[in-house]
Amino acid sequence: MRGGAAFRKLGSVLVFLILAVAAVVTLFPIYMGVLNSFKTDGEILNDILALPDRFQFHNYADAFERIHFLRSLGNTALITAIGLTGIILFASMAGYKLSRTPGKLSGFFFGVFILSMLIPFHSIMITLTRIAKELHVQGTTYGLGTLYIGLGVSFAVFLYHGFVKSIPRDLDEAAVMDGCGEFKLFFTLIFPLLLPITATNAILNLLWIWNDFLLPLLMLTDRDNYTLLLSTNMLFGQYGNNEWSAILASLIMAMLPVIAFYLLLQKYIIKGIADGAIKG
Amino acid sequence: MAGKHFGKRTVILLAFILPALLFYTVFVLVPAFGGVWYSLTDWNGVNPAYHLVGFANYREALTNDDYFLDSIGFTLKYVVCMVVLQNALAILLAVFIESRRRTKSVFRTVFFMPNMISLIIGGIMWLFIFTKVLPYLAVHTGMSFLDQSWIGDPKLSFIAILILSLWAGVGYLMVIYIAALQNVPDHLNEAAAIDGANAWQNFRYITMPMIMPAVTIGIFLTLNGSFKVFEAVFALTNGGPGRATQVIALNIFDEAFHNSFRYGYASAKAMILFLIVMLLTFVQLAVMKRREVEA
Repeated sequence: MRGGAAFRKLGSVLVFLILAVAAVVTLFPIYMGVLNSFKTDGEILNDILALPDRFQFHNYADAFERIHFLRSLGNTALITAIGLTGIILFASMAGYKLSRTPGKLSGFFFGVFILSMLIPFHSIMITLTRIAKELHVQGTTYGLGTLYIGLGVSFAVFLYHGFVKSIPRDLDEAAVMDGCGEFKLFFTLIFPLLLPITATNAILNLLWIWNDFLLPLLMLTDRDNYTLLLSTNMLFGQYGNNEWSAILASLIMAMLPVIAFYLLLQKYIIKGIADGAIKG
Repeated sequence: MAGKHFGKRTVILLAFILPALLFYTVFVLVPAFGGVWYSLTDWNGVNPAYHLVGFANYREALTNDDYFLDSIGFTLKYVVCMVVLQNALAILLAVFIESRRRTKSVFRTVFFMPNMISLIIGGIMWLFIFTKVLPYLAVHTGMSFLDQSWIGDPKLSFIAILILSLWAGVGYLMVIYIAALQNVPDHLNEAAAIDGANAWQNFRYITMPMIMPAVTIGIFLTLNGSFKVFEAVFALTNGGPGRATQVIALNIFDEAFHNSFRYGYASAKAMILFLIVMLLTFVQLAVMKRREVEA
């Protein structure tokens, strides 16, 4: 028995070591990025592992201007806010009513929404650029925000649809008898009850829209409208392999909002991700 | 009276779903059906006039377009590696993390973090690692195997793309597997311990069968996601050297927006991607469903 306990202890230490090494490997690129973002390009060339002689904060000042940080951040936030608001509002209404209405018509529309899960974005992007141009939503942050509503709403409908089943029907039936209007009933009584799934939907869609690259690349042509990712990617395209100090500083800056968001709301984010995946 | 009631309910239903349906129809359904239509034409995206060409685009893509066929092959290789490696690593990390007490949440935080970062940013950061840091380490620490042309040599850039994708994606599946592990009843593990099962036997006969539903989800997500891989490749190699690491999505993107602007032809390729993803999804779901029933 004593031998077994020692063996178990050894196994536990081994597991810890494996996890520790994996954690170091995971953080290594981020650490190297942060470290070298404070160096001169000469220092990066000569000693990539060492601490900088003097912290080059001006790398960040340069990157701040070159990627038009505030403007890019504002654009990203606006696009995300429009997409998110539309998805939450429209999907909660549709998901609720589809879940509450029996019958073939309701089932048909639910099926139509589900259909989209099979369609890869790359299969519709070519025609989407054309439609966006015709509807004049191409080229503007507002327009791009509305595109995200269309692309994201169906999965959110699916999640709301499942969640509404857990809310007792007596509640809305009693309210209807009181003569409460359908929309008023939904927004005052039902919508607050949907909060857990609204949080899941908000987190999933926020991360998706904020980190999406291809759709903004296809839709935004004017640099004034660029998102954080487009600006950073453009900076990389301009300076390529020559000026890693500036590029790394811009990468760190571009990912700071997401990392801050993650460290603050970690518990909810991980729960949201797990719920979204398991119910999807 | 009943008819009138039914009519009113239908109107209310339509009123509630109309906004969602409108956006969804215009930005997803119409482009999807439009894509099918354009794939049968020689539309070049600029010229308003185009002609129906039947299945000529499909025939050309599947018989005459080596770059496209290579991109399918390359993507398949990537998908197989990702499905196996990503799920295996995620299960391993989840099981290990769940066995910790005090360090559990720290490790979970660390391993999930890359998932929060855009693949474009992560990709450029890894490009720095592959082109600058690893060659430096090889020269100065004696780990000479690191001195490779990670981005220039197609074989190695495949590995580089895998490393980036795993770095970014494992944490996501790990979270799903952790949730599944937490649902395994304690008394099963306790009973196994009393029967003298070792860690491996416990994993093999208790843990794995209990988390099989999560494995289905994990494989489904990886399969679906890695077939559509785009950003990891775009950021790291942009399909190069030459077109050696071009994936299907990048091939479509280049065809439509960079090389030829043959929208009709690119739409046909996009439909082929759609059909592949759909077919694989159905096959995989059918197989996994059957296995779950047997187990």
